[in-house]
Amino acid sequence: MNNNIIPTLALAVALGIGLAYVMPTWSGSISSTRTVIAADDQALAAATTYATQQNELAAARNAIDPADLARLAALLPDSVDNVGLILDLNALAARSGLSLANVDVLTTSPAAAASASAGTNPVGSVDLSLSAVGTYSSLVTFLHGVEKSRRLLDVRDIVVKGSDTGVYTYQMKITLYWLR
Amino acid sequence: MPRSSFAAVRQRAQFTGGYPLFAYAALVLAVVLALGTFAYDRVLAGMQTSRDAELAKAEKAIDLATIEGFIQLRNRLNSGTTLLSSHVALSGFFTLLSSVVPTTVRLSSLHLSLDATGKVRLEGAGVARSFNALAAVSTAFATDGRIKDAIFSNLVVNRDNTVSFSLSATLDPKVVAFTP
Repeated sequence: MNNNIIPTLALAVALGIGLAYVMPTWSGSISSTRTVIAADDQALAAATTYATQQNELAAARNAIDPADLARLAALLPDSVDNVGLILDLNALAARSGLSLANVDVLTTSPAAAASASAGTNPVGSVDLSLSAVGTYSSLVTFLHGVEKSRRLLDVRDIVVKGSDTGVYTYQMKITLYWLR
Repeated sequence: MPRSSFAAVRQRAQFTGGYPLFAYAALVLAVVLALGTFAYDRVLAGMQTSRDAELAKAEKAIDLATIEGFIQLRNRLNSGTTLLSSHVALSGFFTLLSSVVPTTVRLSSLHLSLDATGKVRLEGAGVARSFNALAAVSTAFATDGRIKDAIFSNLVVNRDNTVSFSLSATLDPKVVAFTP
């Protein structure tokens, strides 16, 4: 009977080591550390992919002519800048022989409403209302200028009222766009 | 048997019996496992520290301004393409009108408007020198085909035999489609 005391103690110590240290460590800190390392590995793989894609994108962007990028930025600018646009339109009208009488921003326009409601749409738009007086050929010249302007503008509504003098009155709605 | 020999046999039995052997083997195994677990835990902790450092370095390499720039460029390219594909050039209509409407017919007012679907609606009023002149316009519209569903209404013969009329029609979207 006494012969088994030490082996029993040894077995008890072995069990104690297993239950008190080995098993809790494997299911605790080792398991959680391995999970964290796996997540870190995934993140590192994503970071590597990102770095590769960033280099590819940078190469693609650098392949675009800077003048074209500038034209693209002018086509769809980062801000509304309707005041600058009105000045440009006024200058265009003067060159076309058209006299601008009144320019206003239509905040309740469909374009503005759609622009405000579309939260995910990166493009904002607003309508400008303007009235002008001039000859028919002046109007056509002005419209050509607006259509081919560096900044994208759409004349979406136009009212022409004639007169016997050959000078007409025009009412237009022009939609302008910008990148939010 | 001498007392000392008896004690030696008893001591040997303590280490060589089946149960004691199992117990000591279990103890050795438990100790080895505990040491292995400890070492593995330390190795994993070192790996985690190393991964965290790599991840922090990778995160630091990510420039948010560069990402913003790429997103902005992507949005500008995509939106620019979409907007240009629906860009409106109303001057095309005026060119068409000049070629289709004879000089015997004069429009005194005209309203062109685009709805949300891109459909162009035309409303107008004018005076024709005679019914024959008006019929010629109607035939010209039908022959050309780009001014669709043209309806002449409110026909009134004036004292000087001219004919006043109202006009409503829709336009083929190709007429006002922008071509660079």
